[in-house]
Amino acid sequence: MGEQWRLFRHEGIPVTTAEGLGLDDTLPWSVINKSSPPILHLYNFVSSAIVGKYQDITAALRLERCRAKGIEYNRRSTGGGTVIMGPTVVALGLGINVDYPGLKKGIGGVFESLAAVLIRTMDTLGVKAGFRPKNDIEVGGRKLAGLSAASEEGRALLFHTSLLVDFDVELMTEIMNTPVIKLQDKGYNCFSQRMTTINEQAGRSISMGEVMDAIQASFEEEFRITFRRDQPDENELETLRGFINNRYTKTDWIFSNRHPRARMGVGQIKTPGGLLEVYLSLSGSSIEHLLITGDFFSNSEYINRLENALKWTSALRENIIGNLESVWEDGAIHGVGMDSIVEAILKAKDSQVRL
Amino acid sequence: MADIKGYNMPDELYYHKENSWARVEGTKVTVGMSDLFQKEAGDIVFVDLPDEGDEVSQGEVCGKIQSRKWIGKLVSPVSGEILETNEDLDDDTGVINQDPYGKGWILKIEASDLESELGNLMQGQALVVFVEAELKRSEEEKSKAK
Repeated sequence: MGEQWRLFRHEGIPVTTAEGLGLDDTLPWSVINKSSPPILHLYNFVSSAIVGKYQDITAALRLERCRAKGIEYNRRSTGGGTVIMGPTVVALGLGINVDYPGLKKGIGGVFESLAAVLIRTMDTLGVKAGFRPKNDIEVGGRKLAGLSAASEEGRALLFHTSLLVDFDVELMTEIMNTPVIKLQDKGYNCFSQRMTTINEQAGRSISMGEVMDAIQASFEEEFRITFRRDQPDENELETLRGFINNRYTKTDWIFSNRHPRARMGVGQIKTPGGLLEVYLSLSGSSIEHLLITGDFFSNSEYINRLENALKWTSALRENIIGNLESVWEDGAIHGVGMDSIVEAILKAKDSQVRL
Repeated sequence: MADIKGYNMPDELYYHKENSWARVEGTKVTVGMSDLFQKEAGDIVFVDLPDEGDEVSQGEVCGKIQSRKWIGKLVSPVSGEILETNEDLDDDTGVINQDPYGKGWILKIEASDLESELGNLMQGQALVVFVEAELKRSEEEKSKAK
């Protein structure tokens, strides 16, 4: 039997964003300052929208709608984009030393190791999921979970993900501010074609407890460890209170202006295969999100793969070409060449406006 | 220019084990992230920089670097005062990937204790050993996972 990890598991009572994110930040602190073994935190948030550390929250969310609907919003300390959380989404925080045996090295390696745990979890629940490099868990090209991480104190790492057991797409389209939303009536379908849930894939209603049990068991098998149910001790509670009081309830943190400029644009091109449209969100000089659509013939799994290859990458022409080439299949989009997609993206970039 | 296992690690620079490099010109030190780092990280999408005038210590985290959904640390290779940060990174962080030792520099420091601190950084054979060990460790973990 391997090492015993600690498990903070909260079921039934959703936590506020300040409490959940504050406790997650305490995990790597404990690993370094208290020589704690790795700590897994499983829980649900209240209905909320959480942006990545370096996102412009005012550009990412329709804040007035969040307030009107009683949806909390906050900023996490790991990277990536906006996630919508709530009682049917399992939130996962993990504090671990980057040198922990069995955790692959490097940024890509860490994501691969933790993705393996989640794929095993899905398998237990009867869902055949796969890892879509570099950050997503997917089923048939539709995203089920996104992974994000941050190097924290010393050699400690904070890893975040959320697993969609069920999901309110309508709420998402209402409070998020992405190019997809600009499509109005198309917005709902765009999300539905690109995202999925555990319930949908398993074909049954799965409880939060069953998902958490499966996650626990998968960590145990993957890392050959056991868990001990635990709670934060006094020092950890004090640290948690510090994060809540000084970070997650502070306007300076939630509305931080330490982020790249957020912009959005649309590019349209007529191709032999039909009209090609690209809806683009830029974060500084990088593509944060994009949607490739139009009236050409292709399959959504392939389009999703193209989009994913470009997310969180440089928006320079040569980088766009390089990233597309890594997944491009001639003929997969009838009558649309790679050069047309590149041009549509660049056109969208040229037409960008501040969000 | 030194090529260590396919990574460009120029001889004249000093390297910190957290992948930052230091170019020393008198007491002024230019800092950036190594080719080893940028290749592993992939496209850099944001750099959270310290303010000019801030004091930093050797080994201290003085900034954060986001690549995809990972936020990594920018560790200062020397102690001193931040003199300047690279404003061009506001428009294009991709230069860290394209030209990590040139246009992709990140900040400049007026060093306060170079004499004793340079010895803590790596060059030459020590750097070769470090890079090889990092790559070996990565390969070992990959083969264990198979």
